Amino acid sequence: MIHDIWTVVWKEWQEFRDQLLSLRRGGLSAMILALILGVVAPVQLGAEWVESRLIIGYWPFLAATMVSSLIADSVAGERERHTLETLLASRLSDSAILIGKIIAAVLYGVGFAVVNLAIGLIAVNVAHGENGLILFAPQRLIVTVALTILASLLMAGIGVFISLRASTVKQAQQAFGIAIIVLTMGPLLLFNALSYETRTAFIGRLGRVGETRIEAYVLAGLFVLSAIVIGGALARFKRGKLVLD
Amino acid sequence: MPNGRELAIRADRVTRDFGPVRALDALSLEIPKGIVFGFLGPNGAGKTTAIRVLLGLIDPSAGHAEVLGLDTRRDGSAIRTRCGALLEHPGLYERLSAYDNLDFYGRAWRIARRARQERIREMLTRFGLWERRDDPVGRWSRGMKQKLAVARAVLHRPALVFLDEPTSGLDPVATAGLREDLAALAAQEGVTVFLTTHNLNEAERLCAQVGVIRSGKLLAVGSPEQLRTRGDSGRVDIRTTGITEELVRHLGDLPDVRTAAASGDHLAVSVSNGASVAPIVAWLVQHDVGVEEVRKVRATLEDAFLDLMGAETRNGEDAGGTP
Repeated sequence: MIHDIWTVVWKEWQEFRDQLLSLRRGGLSAMILALILGVVAPVQLGAEWVESRLIIGYWPFLAATMVSSLIADSVAGERERHTLETLLASRLSDSAILIGKIIAAVLYGVGFAVVNLAIGLIAVNVAHGENGLILFAPQRLIVTVALTILASLLMAGIGVFISLRASTVKQAQQAFGIAIIVLTMGPLLLFNALSYETRTAFIGRLGRVGETRIEAYVLAGLFVLSAIVIGGALARFKRGKLVLD
Repeated sequence: MPNGRELAIRADRVTRDFGPVRALDALSLEIPKGIVFGFLGPNGAGKTTAIRVLLGLIDPSAGHAEVLGLDTRRDGSAIRTRCGALLEHPGLYERLSAYDNLDFYGRAWRIARRARQERIREMLTRFGLWERRDDPVGRWSRGMKQKLAVARAVLHRPALVFLDEPTSGLDPVATAGLREDLAALAAQEGVTVFLTTHNLNEAERLCAQVGVIRSGKLLAVGSPEQLRTRGDSGRVDIRTTGITEELVRHLGDLPDVRTAAASGDHLAVSVSNGASVAPIVAWLVQHDVGVEEVRKVRATLEDAFLDLMGAETRNGEDAGGTP
């Protein structure tokens, strides 16, 4: 099973590599993102770039965005390019194919975020490190990386669900765009819809809970949600159904 | 087990429904190991559904099928491990190079690295694609892609390979080239080939046995020679002198003569099955027609196929297309 999963990861990476190396097919947008997030932002923000609480959501969002574009191409693209049935006619199991695709996309998204983070650290230290090294607090770094991995897994699971219903990559990406807006803007809009008193009380309660505990709750919530979504995706990804779709 | 040979495929009244549409209707087949079997039928006849059932990709609604002695319902994974397939589409990753396409499937079939490299080289060389191995497949012609897809299907030395219309959409030169490659491959690798096609010439040249399917029903099965014999419906070509249109009309009224038509000196007569041509020749001579040559026209596989299709249509059993 492990060998089969890595075989699929290998194949997906061969295709991603082609996309990344081709300026027209995604290499350019990746370079622009790397320049803005990895160089411009840290140089402008200085030490705040590693100290701000907001930065914790920055990398998971970046990784999840990368995963969303790849997973749609990886799942809906196989069907659109008529390679899926041949893949399903091979000896690879349904779960090896799907897990391989999810791991490949998550590795790519997380890898991209981590590389950007490393470039950012170099950039911020070159521009502002005259008084000593500027680094993330270890706990914040661990939480950020864990959040990045879990957000990527969740996005990959959602992506599989959406892609299985889409007949083309374009359709899947459009549906994905809407899902991302709903997932990111929805909680904010809901929060704003609450009365001022409720919001104040909620923020006050959060303050009493403490930062570490909130982070733990968020991580646990994301973990459970990712497990449910990926479990559901595995249950839906069955060759008997896929061949006839 | 026909003629004591081991079977590659055994289907026993396999039926597959898609809602109200019956794609396979009690299909029963026995295909011995080591032959090229041609599955002939028009579009929507149920050929692709048969392959999907045999590969264990979908279950039959009723009936039972075994591939290499394995149950298609229960042992789909084991069947796919022992088989290769070129399905409706080449199924190649067009962004990847030819080498990487084969490398991926070689890894999927767990061929050890060294053996995989040698096998990829062997297959690409055999199909004349080695020099272009690093090109992204998307830049290749349809014929080259089909060759690569065939190479991929047999890369892991399967005992049985399914080829779903491998020459479909190719120009005549590419078709002939691929057909030669397939024949050589089947002979050299000793693999059983299950080939679907509606190219009758291809089936006649490649296949030891053929089955004809329409609307999910198997209409006939046998060697191309046996099917041709079935299609020999008593057509006779007579070279004459002095034949007139009026005589041709009268000839058509004779017992056992189904049709008669003249074109210049040539008279094409179709007689009832088993009927003798001698009374017709005697009748012509009696009416002062010179008979220079009488030649029984041998039916081609195409004649037999069209005859079967026609008979099926006449039986009013055409249930339309299938998924």
